[in-house]
Amino acid sequence: MAGNIYPTICPGCNFGCGLYIRENEGLDVEFRKSSPANAGKLCRFGMKLLELYRSASSMVGGKETSLEDAAKEAAKRLSGGSAALVSFGNTTCEEHLAFRDLAEKLGAPFYTGVDLEDFPEDTRPTLKVGIPYNEIEKAKHIVLFIDPYIQYPLIVRRLVSAKNNGARITSIGWKKLPLADEDLSPGDVSKLELSKDSIVIADLHPLSDIEYVKNLLGLAKKAGARITFLKPFANSTGAGILSEGQSTGKLVEEIEKGSIKTLFCLESDITEVIPEDTLSKLENLIVQTGRESATTGKADIVIAHEPLYRKKGELVNNEGRVQALGGEGTGGLEALGIIAGSKFEFDALQEKVKKAIGIETIDEFTIPDHERPDYAAPEGKPAVPEEKTALVSMFNPFMWYGLPDDNNFVELNLKMVRSLKLIKGGTIKIKSNGSAIDMRFRVAPVQDNILISEKRVPFVKGIVTPVEVSR
Amino acid sequence: MEKGDMLVGWSTNEEVRKRGGSGGLVTSILAAALEKGLVDAVVVLKKINEFEAVPVITSDVEEVLNSAGSMHSVPSNFAKLVADKKIKVAVPGKGCDVRAIIEQGKRNAVDLDNTFIIGLNCGGSMHPSVTREMLKTVYNIEPEDVEGEEIEKGKLIFKTKDGKEHAITIDELEEKGYGRRESCRYCSIKVPNNADLACGNWGVTGDLVGKATFVEVNSDKGVKLLQNALDAGMIEVKEPDDKGIAIRGKIKGSMEGLAGKWKDKVFVPVDNRLEYFRKELENCIDCGACKTVCPTCSCGPVSKCNEYHERSDAYKMSMYHLVRFLHLADSCIGCGQCTDVCPSDIPLTRLYRRFANPIQEELKYTPGMDIRKPPYFETKLEEL
Repeated sequence: MAGNIYPTICPGCNFGCGLYIRENEGLDVEFRKSSPANAGKLCRFGMKLLELYRSASSMVGGKETSLEDAAKEAAKRLSGGSAALVSFGNTTCEEHLAFRDLAEKLGAPFYTGVDLEDFPEDTRPTLKVGIPYNEIEKAKHIVLFIDPYIQYPLIVRRLVSAKNNGARITSIGWKKLPLADEDLSPGDVSKLELSKDSIVIADLHPLSDIEYVKNLLGLAKKAGARITFLKPFANSTGAGILSEGQSTGKLVEEIEKGSIKTLFCLESDITEVIPEDTLSKLENLIVQTGRESATTGKADIVIAHEPLYRKKGELVNNEGRVQALGGEGTGGLEALGIIAGSKFEFDALQEKVKKAIGIETIDEFTIPDHERPDYAAPEGKPAVPEEKTALVSMFNPFMWYGLPDDNNFVELNLKMVRSLKLIKGGTIKIKSNGSAIDMRFRVAPVQDNILISEKRVPFVKGIVTPVEVSR
Repeated sequence: MEKGDMLVGWSTNEEVRKRGGSGGLVTSILAAALEKGLVDAVVVLKKINEFEAVPVITSDVEEVLNSAGSMHSVPSNFAKLVADKKIKVAVPGKGCDVRAIIEQGKRNAVDLDNTFIIGLNCGGSMHPSVTREMLKTVYNIEPEDVEGEEIEKGKLIFKTKDGKEHAITIDELEEKGYGRRESCRYCSIKVPNNADLACGNWGVTGDLVGKATFVEVNSDKGVKLLQNALDAGMIEVKEPDDKGIAIRGKIKGSMEGLAGKWKDKVFVPVDNRLEYFRKELENCIDCGACKTVCPTCSCGPVSKCNEYHERSDAYKMSMYHLVRFLHLADSCIGCGQCTDVCPSDIPLTRLYRRFANPIQEELKYTPGMDIRKPPYFETKLEEL
């Protein structure tokens, strides 16, 4: 009668939210109130987490097979050369490490989505590990380069707490935020008054504009402010500590050039970040995963094992907090061992993880000391958005990928609604580069000539897309 | 034995009696119910550490005997766990668990005839994250050094591995913003007489202090539960002394009085109600956790609060919240679960109670205390 209950971490982003998954006839999400990162609280995505956990089956060429046979076939195809491996950090530290070792053994390039070599060396520790959330609660001034409500919702309560403690909150964005004492548009960053008492909160992910991130690092450094980067994958921070990988941009380039013909993805939905045309140039797409996704649907080989909540291993969150998952599954390591031709031992990998992080025991309630050395202010040269009507994509780029959500609308201000003579309950037509879409709209305190979307609109490529709008 | 009886009892299993804080009576009643086939399953807390436990439904007598008992830092609610299970089950629970189970029963999600409820006296529970912080900042002890806690004479006492006891009055802790959850402070159900049995250590006197449980029999099902455990030889009972009964009544009265004071303190009238509610809800991220966790809600995902609400709406206050305020006006039991899980730390229970308090007082209806239907359900059209 007793159901199996797994204490686990939400894979929606790198915030590190603890929860339980209860397995009975189906799955249930339950609140783990003792979890240090989130006190059991979950965002909209966390509440819909079960939609993510659709189990996958091992397949070769569309035919169901065993994990062992799929892994053997993957090994065969990977040995053919022109292969690359991708792991964004959606899995345990141990699996990520084994995967990196496999890449080394195969002599294949390793991609993690973000290439820290694009940034000056002295800034990398700051980019890798963020500031503990309780320090954000104690800050006197907080500057947001994210929309906390949409992108990393569990930061909201930390900001509320900071405000209750007397903090002033400045938001840099296109929309007034209820939490903010001051709202500045991205074009007015020069008016931003930072000091050593400020904490800047931004994010870093495979679609981030490197020059923009450099600019933020420079801005914080010049004022003596602290800066923290929130990240999108369950173990982005762990992956950053354990490996150096190359960027998604570089991966796309190499596939386009034809130097990569076989791509092996570990728990990474590359269809989120790689254009379909580029993917179609691959000869082999191999996916190792614990859940069905858009990427498994396109894969030539699927190596399927237990989902994240049943895995054994650790994740490192934005703060650098090491948290153990509550499962016992090591199917992922088993598959990687078959491909590598030699078994990966969990305990040995875990010791390597602990050594790399600098800890002796895994204690979710103690954040290890992570170095955040001083760095020289880099100068970024981000492209300045053109001054015209634009659609701003304001989403966590990965959290909702491929999952249904009640977000099929854009936000715009009342002045714009009136000038376009939009009808309440109706739609707005949005055009860009020959593509068009009708979307519902919501009146919100957004800047003039700006539309904000939480949904990934098909024709959008970056954060800001020039558009034409009409009724 | 009959309804209305008061007894003092304990487990006959020495190990259970020793381990249980109050003589292991409740654990043994649950185990006996399972062993003798009175129920198919029971709900117990599976302890993970001093501040964490998960409720499980089990049919394993050994699991019941090894369960955690009640834990002040585990503010769970069992009602949804037993809803829609279609089994004969025994559930131990605080006043809010009992109230929620009864409300689920009114909504046909729990078969109350097949649900045996053992109520546990409760002065309030604490959020585990707050407890951890409190231990570090107020008690100056590391949470990992704690190996037990109890509440005695208005003090919250933590026992550490070095054998020491650390006691601070709950009043002092609450002045500092720690201690019990806000909803527990003003909760007036300290002895759950709405359950089949009401159990606790208040009223246990003399040599039995800490070694026995005072139990009040509130229903025929309560008689069955107790008699079953006695017949199985798993518990022993005796009549309480008059002093014990008087002490229990005094503690109950004093706790209820304190709850009333807290109620007045928390629910200070607000002038501009619309602006107050709008401001409190402005950080809502539409996660729906407050509905999912609500132990009296049995609507499921297709419900008015969800169906009338779209995120593209731009109302000053979302239809989701408006519907829930109305819906809960006659069914909110003030358990605090919604506040516990809100990712934006919105004090939702306080907001729901601001609607529910005047309505429940006006209608003389306290949800979860008996099987009277919620007023909005029992009103007939011809009566309007």
